[in-house]
Amino acid sequence: MPEAVMEKARKKTKYASAPNFTDKKQFRPTGVQETGLAFVGYEVSEDRQVMNQFLHYDQLYTIRHGKNSPFFIGLLDGKIMGTRCPRCGTSWVPVRTHCWSLDCDLVETDWVEMPLTATVHTWTVAGWSGRSSLKRLPIILVYAIIGESSVAIANELHGVKPWDVEFGMPLKIVFKPKNDRQGVITDFHFEPADGWRPGPMTEEKRRIKELVDPVYEWVKTLK
Amino acid sequence: MSERVCIIGGATTPFDYGATGFESIEGGAADCVRETMRDLPEFRLRDLDLMIYSHFSVHFGHQLAPEWIIHDHLGLAGLPHYRVENGGNTGGSSLYAAALAVMSGHHQAVGIVGWETMDSVSQSQGSEFIALASDIRYELLVGGIYPIYYAAMANKWMKENHVTEEDVASIAAKNKNNAMDNPKAQWYRNDHRYITVDDVMNSRLIAYPIKKYDCSLMTRGVAFMIVCNEAYAKKVNPDGYVTVDGMGLSSCTIRAGDRINYPSWKERYGPGYPDMTEFAACRNSAEQAYKMAGITDPLHQIDFGEIHDAFSTSEAQIYKALGLVDGEHVAQFLRDHSTHMDGQIPMNPGGGLLGYGHPVGATGLMSSIECYYQLAGMIPRKHLSTKTQVPDPTCGIVNSHAGTGTSISNFILRRA
Repeated sequence: MPEAVMEKARKKTKYASAPNFTDKKQFRPTGVQETGLAFVGYEVSEDRQVMNQFLHYDQLYTIRHGKNSPFFIGLLDGKIMGTRCPRCGTSWVPVRTHCWSLDCDLVETDWVEMPLTATVHTWTVAGWSGRSSLKRLPIILVYAIIGESSVAIANELHGVKPWDVEFGMPLKIVFKPKNDRQGVITDFHFEPADGWRPGPMTEEKRRIKELVDPVYEWVKTLK
Repeated sequence: MSERVCIIGGATTPFDYGATGFESIEGGAADCVRETMRDLPEFRLRDLDLMIYSHFSVHFGHQLAPEWIIHDHLGLAGLPHYRVENGGNTGGSSLYAAALAVMSGHHQAVGIVGWETMDSVSQSQGSEFIALASDIRYELLVGGIYPIYYAAMANKWMKENHVTEEDVASIAAKNKNNAMDNPKAQWYRNDHRYITVDDVMNSRLIAYPIKKYDCSLMTRGVAFMIVCNEAYAKKVNPDGYVTVDGMGLSSCTIRAGDRINYPSWKERYGPGYPDMTEFAACRNSAEQAYKMAGITDPLHQIDFGEIHDAFSTSEAQIYKALGLVDGEHVAQFLRDHSTHMDGQIPMNPGGGLLGYGHPVGATGLMSSIECYYQLAGMIPRKHLSTKTQVPDPTCGIVNSHAGTGTSISNFILRRA
């Protein structure tokens, strides 16, 4: 290395650049605190032979999106950003920032804005979920193909009775109002494409209705 | 020349959830080793020259490297050890690692301890911890629990293969009822009742077409087994060892929606496979295991199996992926009760994940141990009766399965 370059390197004060995060939002519920590790109680059996102890832990994580960031920034802007391989032309949502074909040698992909239309690949109707989703049951989950994407993406389908979902049904993508978006996958959901009408009642639809009706009743009992 | 791989023994703790499961992980591991020692009086812990620990999620114990606690508790400081983690296929992957260690000739006798303590948090929190193995950026918020992903895959598979809810419900009833003959099974210890197809059909909706009784159990449990070369097997258990004649391990995408056009599958099996319906990693790892074991007609050359029935639907999908039956005949295969105890190829006589339980890191070991017991003629000692004994088996298959079919292993075990 020439002496002049060496000298410049020695004088450099920053050896890596950091993004300047200016648009910063927190949606953390108030009252949630990072208390760290604490043993917060115990229980001992009547015969004093067995003991259980309670440990509490709470921690905020930072998920760094890096090269995937345009997809999640796109959600904030009400856009579905996909990627496309400049060599083989394959496109994806969920995105891949490098092509999956072993013939394309992990070439970096290009960002493309996808249409806000999709098709149902497969589906289910959930009558049970994680604690935070219980009150929204029943939930229709579809895996749908957005535009020309080579993969299916999972998200909720709204605006249709749980027993009326169909394989191959056309969908549109609907975003939350701008101020409610958090740059997460739930910023959008699917709805039936304009003009789509459910088919007639069938034996399977009746069975799904029979399974789902008690779920509606159960949700009403939740506080 | 590679060494022949043998299994000479193993045991699990009782599988429990909540109130009935209160043992520490090192206490449970010691219980399993002590039971194995009672079965194998010639076995000494000091004969082991490697320990592999099989554990999925440190979230459940809030203890990093919890294997270090178990290892020195067993008196094994100084012995090489490491942990294997591969989702629901952690147990199968640990067996794979142990088999490689023996096969290479570098290790003589390898101990595997597997465990999960899923009752250390609330059930809904536990479901969420497991779902952290889905892609948290894309799927955790919209699915939240694994049954939803499996239901979406099964719904399409069942339609395409003309399989009904009742067909898969018979698998759920079979495995839970098999577990009623197994005193260590969680279904025996906690729910403790025989159920019918109607009971499964009437249980609450989890995610269509999966109902509550189509689902495996969340469990606290520990397992231990010994994998060794044939010289050591002949020394310690000359009349009761089994050989691992075939093994395979394969992988698929983390998000099920990403596998419908995946280039490496297209290359292997042609376009349109596995879609979101087939377990390509199961087919692929079974093909590897069959080739190694010289199996060309699995339905007739394999006597029984202990396979990964996380859901009744996935057990049906696995039959097809293992090549036991094709899509055209799978519905009839189920209606003929081909995998019940009196069927052509009994599956999960030990109760499986639906009946025995699913403490993730211990699960694949539990399946291997049950398969070993059948081949070694130990069922009359380990189960409550001979109802769940496969008649005179010589060859069994063990299947271990992770994610949405994201990692899958298969093993062919034969009586020596």
